[in-house]
Amino acid sequence: MAAPNSAERKACWDARDLLWKCLDDNNDNIAACQSFKSEFDRNCPAQWVKYFTKRRDFLKYKEKLQTDGFTPAEGPQQAS
Amino acid sequence: MAVILLFVQLEKFQWFLKPEMLLYGGHGRLPLLTQRGFSSQGQNPSLKAAKVKLRTRLLVTLLFGGSLLGCCWYVYLEKEQKLRRHRIEQLKKVALGQGTFSLLDHTGRRRTKQDFLGSWVLLYFGFTHCPDICPDELEKMSAVVATLDQDPALPQVQPLFITVDPERDDVPALAHYVKDFHPRLIGLTGTAEEVKHAGRDYRVYATPGPKDEDGDYIVDHTILIYLISPDGLFLDYYNRMKDQEHITESIRNHIKTYKL
Repeated sequence: MAAPNSAERKACWDARDLLWKCLDDNNDNIAACQSFKSEFDRNCPAQWVKYFTKRRDFLKYKEKLQTDGFTPAEGPQQAS
Repeated sequence: MAVILLFVQLEKFQWFLKPEMLLYGGHGRLPLLTQRGFSSQGQNPSLKAAKVKLRTRLLVTLLFGGSLLGCCWYVYLEKEQKLRRHRIEQLKKVALGQGTFSLLDHTGRRRTKQDFLGSWVLLYFGFTHCPDICPDELEKMSAVVATLDQDPALPQVQPLFITVDPERDDVPALAHYVKDFHPRLIGLTGTAEEVKHAGRDYRVYATPGPKDEDGDYIVDHTILIYLISPDGLFLDYYNRMKDQEHITESIRNHIKTYKL
């Protein structure tokens, strides 16, 4: 399978940006962004879809860390 | 250095102030105004002599200060040069990019590291199925080379792309891929062993991820752009956080100091 060329890459990135914008505007409600999601799936190789989905989660997490700071999980209470 | 500057400033100030004090006894007039008034009046010889003397003093101060500044500058340059030599010595001891490579370029010609001796090289490792990072970095690298190309005083910088995915990136795949970037970009591939050898020399980490039903996969790898001097020495590297302007300026500086 040949790698996407520059036009195909651009089409995929554009579809990704539109989907991400829709998700941002709709509180990550994928049901509200179905049309963008199918465009994204159509324009990007399946591996890239998986990669970008994970990448968005990571970027969101990173953003949260930077704005809210790190909240350590509730560990076991100190032994009395 | 600040002391000298202060001294010079003081001298200048005196030059304005003194005639005023002598003529008007320091009445509240603007120094510039009194200066004009002073020169239009009949010249008092002793004042004239004092003025000349002040000018001479100013000149001497400037000359003295200037030569001192010159000395400081010379010492500074010497120190910079010494630091640069020290850096080169240290880099020669680093076991990075000291080895060689022998790979096929995107036209099918065999190329070794020796072929690129004598020119500045920017080197990036990646793969053609890369979703976003490699195209971004290669575009950045191409833009840097294009910017440096515009400066006729600088030697040409050769951009290289070595695949970390020899399984899929054969010669035609690379030929297809490099077209999207700088016209001088050379894509390099080889057998799994050859590619691994080339990467190991630059401590490049590359691991293919799991294959999906289409046999597609993503290769996790080191994202660095390496700068190599005309004598094949690894000089610097740029990570993803470094933007185009930063890299261009850095290379410009490396080329400038290399000539010294």
